[in-house]
Amino acid sequence: MENFAVQRVDNVAYSILKVGGFLDAHTAPQLEDAIQNLVDENRCKIIVSFTDLKYISSAGLGVFMGFIEQVRNMGGDIKLSNMTPKIFRVFDLLGFPTLYDIFDDEHEAIEKF
Amino acid sequence: MIKETKRLSKLSLLLPLGIFAGAIFIDINILSGVLEESKSQNLREWFIVVAFALSLPLVYKQKWASDRNVLRGLRFVFFLVLFTYIALLTSKANFVRIHGELNEMASIYDDYRSYIFVMSWAFFLTVFVLLSLGTLRNMIFIKRKKSTSRNFNLLMVALFIFSLMNAGFFRRHTVGAMAGSSVTLNYIFSFIVINLMVINSFRVSWINYLNKKQKLACFWGGIIFLPLQVHLNVILYGFNMTEIFSPALGQFVNYSILFLTVYIAFAFIALLAHLPTAKLYDKKMHQIGSLHNLSRAVSSEFEIDKLVRSIVRLANEVTESDFSWLELVDKKSNKLQLVSALHLTESEKRSWQPSTDSKVDKWFAEHPEPLLSNQVIKSLLVKDFKKWKRELESLVAVALRTGGHTIGYLYVGKKVTYGFEQDDVDMLRAFSEQAVVAIENARLVQESIVKERLEEELKIAHETQRQLLPKNMPVVPGFGIDAICNSANEVGGDYYDFFELGKNKTGVVVGDVSGKGASAAFYMAEIKGIMQALARGNQSPKQTLILANRIFYGNIDRKNFITLIYGIIDAKKKRFTFCRAGHCPILLASGGDDGVRLLEPKGIGLGLDPGVLFDETLEECSIVLEKNQVLLLYTDGATDARNDEGELYGEERLEESFLKSNQLDLSAIKEQLVKDLLDFLGKKNIFDDMTCVIIKAL
Repeated sequence: MENFAVQRVDNVAYSILKVGGFLDAHTAPQLEDAIQNLVDENRCKIIVSFTDLKYISSAGLGVFMGFIEQVRNMGGDIKLSNMTPKIFRVFDLLGFPTLYDIFDDEHEAIEKF
Repeated sequence: MIKETKRLSKLSLLLPLGIFAGAIFIDINILSGVLEESKSQNLREWFIVVAFALSLPLVYKQKWASDRNVLRGLRFVFFLVLFTYIALLTSKANFVRIHGELNEMASIYDDYRSYIFVMSWAFFLTVFVLLSLGTLRNMIFIKRKKSTSRNFNLLMVALFIFSLMNAGFFRRHTVGAMAGSSVTLNYIFSFIVINLMVINSFRVSWINYLNKKQKLACFWGGIIFLPLQVHLNVILYGFNMTEIFSPALGQFVNYSILFLTVYIAFAFIALLAHLPTAKLYDKKMHQIGSLHNLSRAVSSEFEIDKLVRSIVRLANEVTESDFSWLELVDKKSNKLQLVSALHLTESEKRSWQPSTDSKVDKWFAEHPEPLLSNQVIKSLLVKDFKKWKRELESLVAVALRTGGHTIGYLYVGKKVTYGFEQDDVDMLRAFSEQAVVAIENARLVQESIVKERLEEELKIAHETQRQLLPKNMPVVPGFGIDAICNSANEVGGDYYDFFELGKNKTGVVVGDVSGKGASAAFYMAEIKGIMQALARGNQSPKQTLILANRIFYGNIDRKNFITLIYGIIDAKKKRFTFCRAGHCPILLASGGDDGVRLLEPKGIGLGLDPGVLFDETLEECSIVLEKNQVLLLYTDGATDARNDEGELYGEERLEESFLKSNQLDLSAIKEQLVKDLLDFLGKKNIFDDMTCVIIKAL
């Protein structure tokens, strides 16, 4: 199938996960692992940047739901940024903008932490 | 057919016997004085020669040793020779006492007694020779080559011609003064015959197939047999009744017995040469047998437990080791495990430690060949094994590799130092290659069995899930309702349902559980139950979904959620009141070509939020449906279908397709929607996920 990639950039206070490709039921575990690693390292200020993401399925959306409670309880957050209109449409339909902070780019997200 | 050949073989036996009897008949007439000896001599010799010629094919029909059972053939010849030898010795003594020396005998026609004596001996010796030659032939023909049959036939022909040259009617002319040319011819022929004997005597490859015990038996047998045979030859040289009876037959018997002697002498010499290596040869045969057994196990043993046991046992046999064990990498934990061992105690098995990242592993990573250590105690690599298995003195280990990665190690060990040779190492290596194939095969079979079972279970799950969808469309006055549900062979989270709510009201729900497979299917069943229960007690879609979210949120895994649209059709007021909980928007078309509207009130998916946010966000929307207006409720299975190029079908294409078809009647809309999607998918003509509900105001 199509490729999926997660690239992690760590900063002192926060971490950015840059995801690209197709995020569906098959590739979701990769993103899950990446976020789990951050949580394990106690890095709970997470920004997920969707610049190169081409497609996201419901299973992909589920990944964020699986961690958000834990991360927020740790005093952090998962913030989403750099969505293409198509990707944003998926999040929007589902009502994610009410549940998550979604930004046009990473810097805005960083400032909000 | 069989009867005929039987009759033929009987005939081939009876015919020479009959002709021989004819010769005897002439002899009796000579004896009784009816016929004159000198006049009938040639005739009887002809009879004898023809009888003899006709009996030659018997050599080719002999069964002894023909089934590769050389020992039986040898035993047969041995006893034949022994019997002949003893009989000959006794009768010679007897004969000499009565008649004097044989060559002093004037004629066989002196008296009846001496004639019968000579005739019987001639007959017996001929039969003896024919039987022995037949057995020899079968032994010579073992592992035959193209030339084998030719050489033997040449010998038989030469023997026959040579015998014929000696026949009375040919020799008679030269009696007294043998012509020089005849003598030369005789020499040439005996030279040819003896040469052919020697050539045929090299065919002793059957010795190879005897095991050590049999070779020893043959050796001792030969020690008795060979002198006996030589002496038999010597006796016959001076005391050959057959020669007196018929010179041609006599020549044949003489040379045939000479051939027997030559052949046995050659075989004995060859046997002597084979004796020192007999044990090694046995070992090799044993190893080949074990390899063969393993090949058999490869093709027949698919139970991995039994297979590893036989691998360890056969490895032990092949190398004649004291103990052996097999370690395999466990697929789940990726660690080595001791899967089978031979002659290790229970406590040794328990104290075995996986040697991952050990020196042995590192050694094998750099060396493709097996590891041989004939002094375990002195080897830096493997001396640690001594701590675990104290008696271990020499050891061979081989890595089981397939497709570049190692699946395990096979070890054999002995209690003595210098227990293994390069030969054992090579053998174990060949053996291990077979073993890898066997293990991989067994694993594949096991996997496919598991897979088959899973597929069967999935099929049942799929069938069960289909049963959860409504079987009939609801009848709503003034509305036509139809649904599309394609979910190939998988279980999934797509779902639709209808509720009869009374007072001309009908509930419609279309939903989609996040994720795929079994978990989605379970949540689908759960939400169906929740909706069935709530819909009937609540007249407002919003109220129903708010309650459904509360219940659902508490009962699911956090990363799962459901999006759905729930609406109520009021048939009387032609009104459709609905909520969208994070689901794809409803498409509304007015039954013409003036565009498609998206109905997208606010709302988040079920199971994403425990309550407050969900309740606040959810909008209820209500529209009046005019005649010919069509609603399309769908799940993202349709829009997310992808063609060969990986292109998504997408909302726009679905809207276009809907716009194109909405003025048609209900079933035609349905067909068009499916057709357009299939056309887009092209060759990849399967999609497992399309759920739509179409509502048309009539």
